[in-house]
Amino acid sequence: MPEVLIADDSEFMRNLLREILEEDHQIIGEVENGVEAVEAYKDKEPDLVMMDIVMPIRDGIEATDEIKSSNPEANVIMCTSVGQEEKMKEAVKAGADGYITKPFQKPSVMEAIEDVVPS
Amino acid sequence: MKVDIQSLGTFNQLAHEGAQQATASMAQMTGIDAAVDVTKITLVDRADVGEELDDGEYVGVQFDFEGELSGRTALVLDRPCSETLTDALLPGDSAANMAQSGVKEIGNIMMSGFIDGWADYLETTIDHSPPTYIEGVGRDVIPASKGEAGADGRTDQLFVFKSQIEYIEESVEFYIYMLPDYDSLTSLMTTHADTESDAIPIDKLEVFNQMTERGTQKAAENVSMMTGIDTEAEVSQISFARIEDVPKQIENSRYVGTVVEFTGIPSGFLLVLFDEMSAKNVAEAMMPVEMDGDDLTDQHTAAIEELGNIMTSGFVDGWANVLRTSVDHTPPRLIHDMGQAILDPLAAQVGRHQEHAFIVDSRMRTDDVEFEAEIHALPNEQELREALDALMIERAEETDADPDEIFQ
Repeated sequence: MPEVLIADDSEFMRNLLREILEEDHQIIGEVENGVEAVEAYKDKEPDLVMMDIVMPIRDGIEATDEIKSSNPEANVIMCTSVGQEEKMKEAVKAGADGYITKPFQKPSVMEAIEDVVPS
Repeated sequence: MKVDIQSLGTFNQLAHEGAQQATASMAQMTGIDAAVDVTKITLVDRADVGEELDDGEYVGVQFDFEGELSGRTALVLDRPCSETLTDALLPGDSAANMAQSGVKEIGNIMMSGFIDGWADYLETTIDHSPPTYIEGVGRDVIPASKGEAGADGRTDQLFVFKSQIEYIEESVEFYIYMLPDYDSLTSLMTTHADTESDAIPIDKLEVFNQMTERGTQKAAENVSMMTGIDTEAEVSQISFARIEDVPKQIENSRYVGTVVEFTGIPSGFLLVLFDEMSAKNVAEAMMPVEMDGDDLTDQHTAAIEELGNIMTSGFVDGWANVLRTSVDHTPPRLIHDMGQAILDPLAAQVGRHQEHAFIVDSRMRTDDVEFEAEIHALPNEQELREALDALMIERAEETDADPDEIFQ
């Protein structure tokens, strides 16, 4: 099963994503900010990172930039409530592979993952 | 057409002083002490005027006024309040016609004081018609404005001056509404505008109001999607008030919700607030299991925090997309306190740089369960002005962005 790291400061959203993903994916970690996301990625090198944007300490776009700089092959899907065009462009520039806006339902999450990490 | 902040401030002050004069007249007639609680100018959809009135019975008086400023004005009070006033004026005479007559006379004297202040400031005469007694349920009591809706292709929005007056020792309120004719007021504002300094184009302010309506709709859709509760956006308006009146914009009851600070153009604060029962209902609708008990648990507050986050984005993303900028915001901070205690520190922070504030207010509700939510934004005045300057009206509809197009 593909290994997934969830980075989101909201416990509620981490739980929701875990419920959606755990049937077909192995959740190898859950972190609450961008700094922890980078550390967890370097430590465990999961197949996919589901990355929130608005997080304390370091936001998800900066964290994505750092992960992609260290490993251009990393797969990162932004999973955020932010629906701003300029933010989406920043995410592309940082190297994000996909973008899902909250609130979401399982089919849209699975579709985005299938685009980035085909089963 | 432009209006400057200083003129808006002056007009707001005039309305406030007029309301104080009206209140003093009433106190003199009836011996009942009252005070003007808050006065604000609101740019609002015609259909939403009077949204703060509940479903009770209201009475009052209306006048038309004409001169350099023309329009319609109304004094509105709930029926028990009117009975208290007329009893003070005509003790023991409870006949309906005398009650009506009493309300008319109180209204006549109060509203004359209100209008006279404007005439004195403008150094002109403003005539008004004899008072007409009005009564109705909720907002139906408020007379229609004189102008035609949407005339000359104009938006269906109007400026309303509203003063809320409270008895000193009783929790009864009444309201003064001033519905100036749009052209008359904007022409007056333009005359007084210092367009070299801090002017705001009125048409862009209206467009901004429409963007806010769409932001509220988006936030309501997000609530529906997350909770399954069919939620409708109800009211969106922009008000302009003195900083010290900002905390009075929301009821002083207990709220649960989130606050974020947003940065960019404009910067400011955004609040998503639920009354306690709504918070509990909406949080439980987001949870996979049923909860026991009446208290808000950590699971409730975690759900509220995330909902606040998503509603905040739904609300501000449209501004960012239309303005072709990004509006960042901090992670949501959970708040659980009395309304004014929540707003006080935010108003104080904004008030370090400005004497008046624009307040963006939205509300949504549903009939399915007990649920109401409010969104209040407190943008930095100067930055809002910069944002409006940069606003291209032809982009006003482009509030949504599609990630699939950008990530192709």
